[in-house]
Amino acid sequence: MGDMVLGRYLPLDSILHRMDPRAKIICMLFLLIAIFIPAGYLGYVILGGLVISLILLSKLKITYILKAVKPMMFMLVFLLIINILVIKSGNLLLSLGWFEVYDDAIFQTLFIVVRLALMISITTLLTATTKPLDLTLGIEDLLTPFKRIGVPAHIIAMMISIALRFIPTLIEETQRIMKAQASRGVDFEEGKFTEKIRGILSLIVPLFISAFQRAEDLAYAMEARGYAPDEERTRYKQLKLTGMDIMSMLLCFAVLIGLIGYIVL
Amino acid sequence: MSIEFKALTHTYNEKTPFPYVALHDVDLEIKEGIFTAIIGETGSGKSTLVQHLNALLTPTSGKVIVDDFIITSEKKAKDLKKLRKKVGLVFQFPEYQLFEETIEKDIAFGPKNFGVEEEAAKKKAREMLALVGLDDSYLNRSPFDLSGGQKRRIAIAGILALDPDILVLDEPTAGLDPQGAKEMMQLFTKLNKEFNKTIIMVTHDMEHVLHYCEDVVVLKKGKVVHTCSANEFFNNYDLLEQLHVALPKVIEFKKMLQDKGIKINPEIFDMHELALELKEELKHG
Repeated sequence: MGDMVLGRYLPLDSILHRMDPRAKIICMLFLLIAIFIPAGYLGYVILGGLVISLILLSKLKITYILKAVKPMMFMLVFLLIINILVIKSGNLLLSLGWFEVYDDAIFQTLFIVVRLALMISITTLLTATTKPLDLTLGIEDLLTPFKRIGVPAHIIAMMISIALRFIPTLIEETQRIMKAQASRGVDFEEGKFTEKIRGILSLIVPLFISAFQRAEDLAYAMEARGYAPDEERTRYKQLKLTGMDIMSMLLCFAVLIGLIGYIVL
Repeated sequence: MSIEFKALTHTYNEKTPFPYVALHDVDLEIKEGIFTAIIGETGSGKSTLVQHLNALLTPTSGKVIVDDFIITSEKKAKDLKKLRKKVGLVFQFPEYQLFEETIEKDIAFGPKNFGVEEEAAKKKAREMLALVGLDDSYLNRSPFDLSGGQKRRIAIAGILALDPDILVLDEPTAGLDPQGAKEMMQLFTKLNKEFNKTIIMVTHDMEHVLHYCEDVVVLKKGKVVHTCSANEFFNNYDLLEQLHVALPKVIEFKKMLQDKGIKINPEIFDMHELALELKEELKHG
C-alpha cells in the first residue's frame, strides 16, 4: 500500500504547486473535455505536448506519472483483443485464415489508450501538486454558486476533506491490526481458503469498530467546538487568484475552443 | 536459548524519497527467564525493536536470533508460525484486536490458528480467563460489552493462550487506572516467576521498572545506549538525569537524602527499608 500513486500529494515547490486550487480544477476540467474532442492526431499531439510540459513544470518525475498510468496496461491488452476481433475496416495487415487484423483496430485502441493516459496524467498532476485540504477548499468555492439549487457545497467539501484526512489513518490502523492478528497466528498470505476468510474477518471487524469509534469521537469533538454546517463560516485560509492563474485558465480554455474550432471548420 | 540482536538496522520507507532509520546498528542480548524493561523516549525505536522478535518486521540489515530461529533481511525465519507461537507479542492497546462474538471464541482464536483442537482451545480459554482474573461467567459474553480494562485483559489472555515462552509487551498498562495497572504488572511477574517465562516490556513508567523488572535496556534515537540491571540503573543518577525520566518516589527521596550527605546503602529500593535505614542512621549520627 506504500507505493499507491493515484491521489497522493507530493510536497514539492513548483509553479503548479503554488497555483490556486480553483484555477487548477478548472484547468483540469477544460483539458479533460478537450481530450474527448475527436480532433485526430493533431489534437493529441497538442494535448500530449501540453501535459508533458506541465509535468516538467511541476517538478514531478515522469516515472512517477508513468507509475500511475501503468495499471492501465492490462486494459490495453484487453481492448486490443476486443478491437481486433470486432473492427474490420481499414487496411488489412495480417490474415491467417478467418483471423484478420485491420489497421483501424490498432489505431482505435491506440486512441483510447492515449486518451486514458492523458486523463490519468492530468488528474495525477492535480492531486500530486495540491494539498488535499486546498483541493476541498477549491471544490467548495466552485460549488458555492450551485447552493441556490440546493447543493450543500460546504457539507460536500467537509465530507471529502474528512474522507481524505482519514485514508492514511485507516491504512495505518489496518497495518497495525494485521500485525496484531499475525501475532495470533493469522497467515494473511498463505493458508487454506476458510482460514483466509477467518483471517480477513479478524481484520475487518476491528477495523470497522475503530472507524465507527473514530467517527463518533470526531463528531463529538466538532460539536464541542461549536461546528454547525448550516451557519455562515469565515475562513482562515483565503484563496486568491493571481494573474498567472487566470492566464492558465485562459490558455486551457483556448486549447479547448481551438480544438472545437478545428473540427467544426 | 537466547535472544540476540546483531548489528540490526531497520529503515522504514527504504525505497522512497522519505526513508527513516528507526534502528541503527543495534547489538543487544536479552537474558532468558528475566523480566527486561525497554525504555526510551517516544520515537526512540522501542516498538520497532520488539516487532523484530516475532518477525513482524524484518531487519534492513543485520540479524535477530531467537533460539534457533534466525531472522535476516533476505529470509524470514524458516518456520514463521513456530516462531510466532514461541514469541507472544502484545501490542499497545491490544483491545483493538478483539473481533469474535464471544470472549471464549476470541481467546481460543490464537491457539486454533496454531493447530490446537477446538475442545483443547476452549479449555485453554477458560484457564487463561481465570489467569487474568475474570470468572467463567464471562465466557459467553461479547468482548465489546466490557470496560476498557477488561477488554485489555481478554486481549492479553488471547496471547497467553498461545503459551509463548517469550512474552513481549508494548506498553501494556497505558491508559489503565493505577489499580488495574498494578494487577496487570502482578500478573506478568507471576508469569515470569511461576511459569518461568521471559518477559520483555516496553514502558514509560519508572515505578514499574523499579518494582517489577530485573534488567533495563535504554534506547535513544534508534541506538541502544545502556544495558544494565534495574538496581544499577536506579543508582546511575547521571544517566537518569540525561534521560529526563520521572524518578520513582523512593529513588527521588533516596537521592535527596544522599545529596544532603546522609549515607544510604545504595542497595535499598524500597520505602520501608529506606525508613528503617534512616532510623539506624539517625540513631548513630
